[in-house]
Amino acid sequence: MSGTWHVDTDLLERYVSSRLDPVTSMSIETHLTRCERCRNTLPREDAWLSRSWAAIEDTIGRPRLTVIERTLRRLGVPEHMARLLAATPMLSRAWLLGVAAVLTFAVAAAHWAPAHPAALLPFLVAAPVSPLVGVAIAYAPRIDAAHEMLAATPMAGSRLLLVRTGAVLVTATPLAAATMPFLPAPPVVTVAWLCPGLALVTACLALSVRVPVRTAAPLLVVAWLIGVFAAGQFTGDRLLPFQPPAQMVYGTTAAVLAVFVYLRRSRLDAGGTR
Amino acid sequence: MTTTVSVHELTKTFGRVKPLDGLSLDFGPGVTGLLGPNGAGKTTLLRCLATTLAPDRGDIRVLGLDIADREQRTEARRRLGYLPQEPGFFTRFTAFELLDYIAILKEMTDRRHRHGEVRRVLAEVDLADRATTRIRKLSGGMRQRLALAQALLGEPELLVLDEPTVGLDPEQRMRFRALISRLGESRTVLLSTHQTEDVAALCERVITMKDGQVVFDGTPAGLTAGAAGLVWQSAERPHAGLFWRTSEGMYRTLGQRPAGAEPADPTIEDGYLLALDTSSTATAA
Repeated sequence: MSGTWHVDTDLLERYVSSRLDPVTSMSIETHLTRCERCRNTLPREDAWLSRSWAAIEDTIGRPRLTVIERTLRRLGVPEHMARLLAATPMLSRAWLLGVAAVLTFAVAAAHWAPAHPAALLPFLVAAPVSPLVGVAIAYAPRIDAAHEMLAATPMAGSRLLLVRTGAVLVTATPLAAATMPFLPAPPVVTVAWLCPGLALVTACLALSVRVPVRTAAPLLVVAWLIGVFAAGQFTGDRLLPFQPPAQMVYGTTAAVLAVFVYLRRSRLDAGGTR
Repeated sequence: MTTTVSVHELTKTFGRVKPLDGLSLDFGPGVTGLLGPNGAGKTTLLRCLATTLAPDRGDIRVLGLDIADREQRTEARRRLGYLPQEPGFFTRFTAFELLDYIAILKEMTDRRHRHGEVRRVLAEVDLADRATTRIRKLSGGMRQRLALAQALLGEPELLVLDEPTVGLDPEQRMRFRALISRLGESRTVLLSTHQTEDVAALCERVITMKDGQVVFDGTPAGLTAGAAGLVWQSAERPHAGLFWRTSEGMYRTLGQRPAGAEPADPTIEDGYLLALDTSSTATAA
């Protein structure tokens, strides 16, 4: 058909204005793919065509959304922020599995001797540390391999640190919360890890005003473990660091340090002086 | 010369090592090359200019902005592109995903515009057909081009490139030179390299550094001219001085004329080696 026959003007006009039946339209489209002469007679708008190509290219070339990204988008997080959070380097499978394994172990330990007064201790000690470890490894050279390139971007420093810390908190907190129903204790007791967790993360940010995050976080983990152990040894009550008075201290500390971090945010930047 | 970047009395110390010691320099539009041996202070200087490292002392102004101030540093970062000496990668990302991530950190929030920009820089470095390839599957040269692509995002006014030609094959190096010379027509490009050929081919100005100090500042032709009358060639092996055997089997000597040697045309590499050697002699004296 494409050898000798060509689309006449009347037929072409009706095709362009979509006044043909589907079968004839398809037949003409098949012919157009093979016949340059007829293609050249088609009226076209170059600006529309380039816009259309750009849109097609954008759709085809767009990176595939991850599960985290899709969830964040459904929760109303802007597209670029969802991408930034989802691509946060420490939200790797290894870290998530590590946190899940530690918490599972802590829950299992609680069930090993449920009647013991300190049965919850492994969970209460481990849960506040998991976000802290996440923040630390977010800045480990092997995980944040591109740190030198990222440090020269406008979002480097306090903005990127806070985004990553937020990403860790919103991931680690539900993970720890999900294990709480499996603990042999009422929710009011099992939630006692939350305030120390928050205080440790804000303390890490505050310390990073003076030392790198990857140094501050391990220091705090060690200090936390020594503090909990020492409190138990000296008072004979191993759960003392999780009692209501201690919770008040953690809450106040977190609030004060959050203000401190806000005021010193310019120092959370490798390009600024510490 | 219009000054776009200036450093004054810049000092940086790492423990007992002082890679920069009171360095003062001005840079203008065009391509400026930093030459120098390892430990000369090139990378430290470029990191300070790229705002990823704070100096101990001294002032830096980038595109008229004082980068010691947080707000002005952020503004400077909006207008510069940086290729570090050892660009690390999130190897689980594809080339497109990495650039998309960095484009977001460069505050490109509109997805369509951002993706268009990512495609543009991928095409600039000839990696358009590798957009969906995971970085762990890219060769060393491709990764280097990808690192260059991220520096080009947002068409920055200042490009800071630390050893950008490392890992590139000769053809890629030619393409790179064409790209950089085009970019240098309308912006400030500062690059460090060990390759004197890159400097000769690309740079309007060359600064040779040694031990945190400038030992030569001028044109590539000026660096070459500094070796005039100090380059010799002989069939006999010289007894002293800085010399090496060429592919033609002759001995090329820099400095004092060895017995029986003939004068030879100097190259930029001769000028560079002599600039370093002269500074050593001056220091020793």
